[in-house]
Amino acid sequence: MQEGVISESNLASFEELFENYVSATPLTKREKAQKIMGQLDTWCNKLEGIREVYDKVPDLTKAGIFKDSPWEHPGKLVPQLVNGTYKSGHPNSTIELLSELRMLAILEGNIAGSAAQKEEADNYLQEVLVYNLEFVFNEPQEETRLVMSEHELSKVHALFQFILEKIELSKVKSKLVEELTLICEQRPVVTEKQRRIIALVKEKIELNPDNPADMELLAFQRAIYKPSPASDGKDHASYGELLQTMTIESLEKEAKAMGDSMLQFGLVSTFQATLLLHLVNKEYHELIPVCLGLNPTGVARFNEFKDFVCYLIIQVIHPFNAQCIFGLAKMLENGIISREAVRSGLYNLCKISIHPEVTKRILKSTRTPHEKVSPKQYLIGALLRILGQPLGVGQGNNPTCQSARGISMWSQHAPAKLIHMVQTAAVHNDLSFRFEGQEISYSTTIDGLVQNLDHHLDAVSVTLVPMLDRVYNEMMRRASGRGEDPHKWANPGLYGQWVQIGFASAYDYLSNAIVDFDGFIRVFYAMCHPRYNGGHRLVYPNPVGIFITSAKGEMLGFHAISLLRVDEDPSGKVRAYFLNPNNEGRQDWGQGIKPSVYGNGEIHGESSLPLYQFAARVYAFHYNNLEASSKMDKIPQAEVEKVKKIAKDSWGKSYTWLEIKKQW
Amino acid sequence: MGWSLPVIESMRKLNKPYVVVSYPDFEGYAKENDIPFVSYQFNEWSDSSNSLDLKEKLDAFGADVAVPLFEETVEWAGALNSLYRDDPRVLNRAFLFRNKAMMKRKALIGGLRVGLFEEVYNKEGVKNFMNRLNQANLQIDGEEDSWVHIKPFASAGTVGHRLLRSQADVDAKCQDDDFPCLAESHLPGKEFSCEAFIHGGKIRFMNITEYVKLGYSNFIPEGNYLHTKRDKILKEMQKLVDLFGIQYGMIHPEWFLTENDELSFGEVACRIPGGHILELCGQAYGFDALGAFVLCHDPDLSEEELKQILPPLDARPKTFYGNVMIYPHKNQISKLIIPEELKEESYFLDHNLVPPLSSQKISDREGFGNHFGTVNFKGDDPDRMTELLLHYENVDFYH
Repeated sequence: MQEGVISESNLASFEELFENYVSATPLTKREKAQKIMGQLDTWCNKLEGIREVYDKVPDLTKAGIFKDSPWEHPGKLVPQLVNGTYKSGHPNSTIELLSELRMLAILEGNIAGSAAQKEEADNYLQEVLVYNLEFVFNEPQEETRLVMSEHELSKVHALFQFILEKIELSKVKSKLVEELTLICEQRPVVTEKQRRIIALVKEKIELNPDNPADMELLAFQRAIYKPSPASDGKDHASYGELLQTMTIESLEKEAKAMGDSMLQFGLVSTFQATLLLHLVNKEYHELIPVCLGLNPTGVARFNEFKDFVCYLIIQVIHPFNAQCIFGLAKMLENGIISREAVRSGLYNLCKISIHPEVTKRILKSTRTPHEKVSPKQYLIGALLRILGQPLGVGQGNNPTCQSARGISMWSQHAPAKLIHMVQTAAVHNDLSFRFEGQEISYSTTIDGLVQNLDHHLDAVSVTLVPMLDRVYNEMMRRASGRGEDPHKWANPGLYGQWVQIGFASAYDYLSNAIVDFDGFIRVFYAMCHPRYNGGHRLVYPNPVGIFITSAKGEMLGFHAISLLRVDEDPSGKVRAYFLNPNNEGRQDWGQGIKPSVYGNGEIHGESSLPLYQFAARVYAFHYNNLEASSKMDKIPQAEVEKVKKIAKDSWGKSYTWLEIKKQW
Repeated sequence: MGWSLPVIESMRKLNKPYVVVSYPDFEGYAKENDIPFVSYQFNEWSDSSNSLDLKEKLDAFGADVAVPLFEETVEWAGALNSLYRDDPRVLNRAFLFRNKAMMKRKALIGGLRVGLFEEVYNKEGVKNFMNRLNQANLQIDGEEDSWVHIKPFASAGTVGHRLLRSQADVDAKCQDDDFPCLAESHLPGKEFSCEAFIHGGKIRFMNITEYVKLGYSNFIPEGNYLHTKRDKILKEMQKLVDLFGIQYGMIHPEWFLTENDELSFGEVACRIPGGHILELCGQAYGFDALGAFVLCHDPDLSEEELKQILPPLDARPKTFYGNVMIYPHKNQISKLIIPEELKEESYFLDHNLVPPLSSQKISDREGFGNHFGTVNFKGDDPDRMTELLLHYENVDFYH
């Protein structure tokens, strides 16, 4: 059978099933419809298959495939419900897919409909598309990843690719602005998603600079395609030629515009790299900090380490490896560059040769590798991004939240260690850790959680994550069977000895139940709530295990995040600020618990929740075992009860609860 | 007798008058969908719930023949048909289908080859039976025990069927409430079933269903090797029909064919067979198998009507239809994953698998238990079909 084409016999099978369906009486129509769905389902994971299905939709509709189902009336469908239906899997997802294709057929006139119905179908599809960008770009959220099979994901992805080819997006501008703003506010290390939306908007929507609604979208366009006055209508090469002819005054204007543009959304254009390299090559040192958009601290650090920074720029930066300029700027501001160990590590990294296996992974993660950019430049570029934006690290479509969390923690608190790990892993395609007096190395351990790494990641993650994942898994294996959650030992083993010794878990291994949840919550508050922990701040990120719940509050699985700080938000509410290594910090965990990423005092990349809501999803965390017991009693019972109720009404339903008291 | 939407649909399409008899649970649906319906508690037999009472209710519909769709309705249909035909032996014949020991005795008397069998009442009885079988098989010390099957007298298909390979198995697998039951020796050979449509005491059409693996997979028509035995099988089948005195309806016996070309009789039923056999049969031969099943019960059916509804006795379809029933392999499942290879498989026809309810625990299987769904295949090569069915039996669809 030819790749991507539905075989003759499968087409014939469809005809047979369809005939059976048409000739059936209402008594067995449902059963026969189900069989058609079973056949169609297998076609849909490829664009070609979707096309075949699309051709059949008018006949299927006419034959009554939607009759007596919730999809019967196209006018009554609600775009917001589509996402959940896809997550529920076949056969629902297959009929949902047919329903979307029916809308498209109405829009394109393949199914008869009035002008108003066409208009409705158009609106509907555009809205559906925007609500399902995770499928359009195949970057599923954590919940989605847990509940959907690979087949279902590729099926829905193929569908949305197909729809996207055929519709416009002019009616969902404000949704797209909101989407772009919220993604960019999180300042992710991997910027592909926002770039793709921006490119999509450019391709699909005619924007009018006089229309206020369009201006916001144009601002995003400018960040990529026209970040400065002189870059208008140019590509980076012709822009480079133009720079040669510019006076220092014009260059300063350009540098200022570039720096400002980058700071607005955290996005870097090819032009900025061209300009920065020009400034370095011409030794216009005073314009470099302007081009980097640095604050006074950053400027001071640049002046201190000028030669080294210029060396790094020459070594690493290229118009097609430009995004790391933002990381470099943030590194200068956050002070990491001041550490001798960091500078030495980066210097060493410029001298290595990369293992062929690692090279393969790096090139795979770079969708369209450029011939002039070496894998090493991609790797160091990614490292600069991570060191500059520790909270922008993501796990991609992989079950590797623990590894992503580690990379983020080290980049803040052990950057030189991280750089050294990257170097070892890149050169040897191997990595070793000490664990309880023994050595664990990647090359001698068995598979971890991830078997097929999804490469939509930064170059550092593709280098390290397969190894960290296996090493962590091996630590978990060695620490299991001790009657307690093995994370207690694996967390400090992987992340570092600064992880607190005390470990609280709501779940008790021996009784297979949630034991003394009151005590658990009291220890949690005593650990982090400034009103009860002596007004202390958290020092290092706390590796916390949480329950992932659906939008209905149902238990879905477990997830690793780190609690960064607990603070009052601008409105005076105490919030937990945390890193969610999932690509998407905005989620809906049910019961009105929706982590926010913007507008509640978050630093770029942080997620946040009111502390009691956060507490109601936590199942494990580390704490100082010497001080917790003295502070536990201060927490008001009402607060504990509030958290407990939320917990019990959601994930708690999946467990037995025992009220006996435990020694914490 | 019994609730089956596909059968009701066939009756509608054939434009035959009918009335459905089934449990009161179905009454609402029947009313909504204009299905003539008499509600009856099949599991109750008393002064007010019996065949005379039921007949009276059915007289209002002008019923003159009863068709049992499921195992539980065989006696009821037998009793009604006894009344309709004024022949008490029709009921006795129905009992024959409901008692596996009685059925075997009848077969043995008539000269069909059957295994050694006995009615047993407790574990001791099974052990003694096994001992006598061992003796007959000239067992030497240290040799393995002869295999023994036990089956409830009156359950459908594989429900309650246990294979005991040793004395220890008897202790481990037999439950007290298995007894009394039938114990029989293991029959060697290739297992298959026949579906013979009978009218006026003669086989008018016969399908052979090749079992690839009992309880998992089968296909229709029979493969090439079994097909070479068709005449022999037809003769044995007519023998069975004559012996049991079956005049109208369909029988579904299971047979074993040894390498020496000997046919052994396993057991026989007279309701709709499991494993979606009639569905496959209808697809392969291109006829309404369920409709034919019902109509063959009617003594008044004309020759012409018979010819119209049944394929010719010597029909041999070119396309084979097979299915495999899918059971989860794990105890806890949360996802349905249709394997890549199935999507590429040109023999794949359809499936009706659905994802599990969030995270689902699988209870132990009774007999072959409830499968989660069926995957259907069609294709021209019976050997490839066999391969596919064997393969997909072991593919895990639920993770």
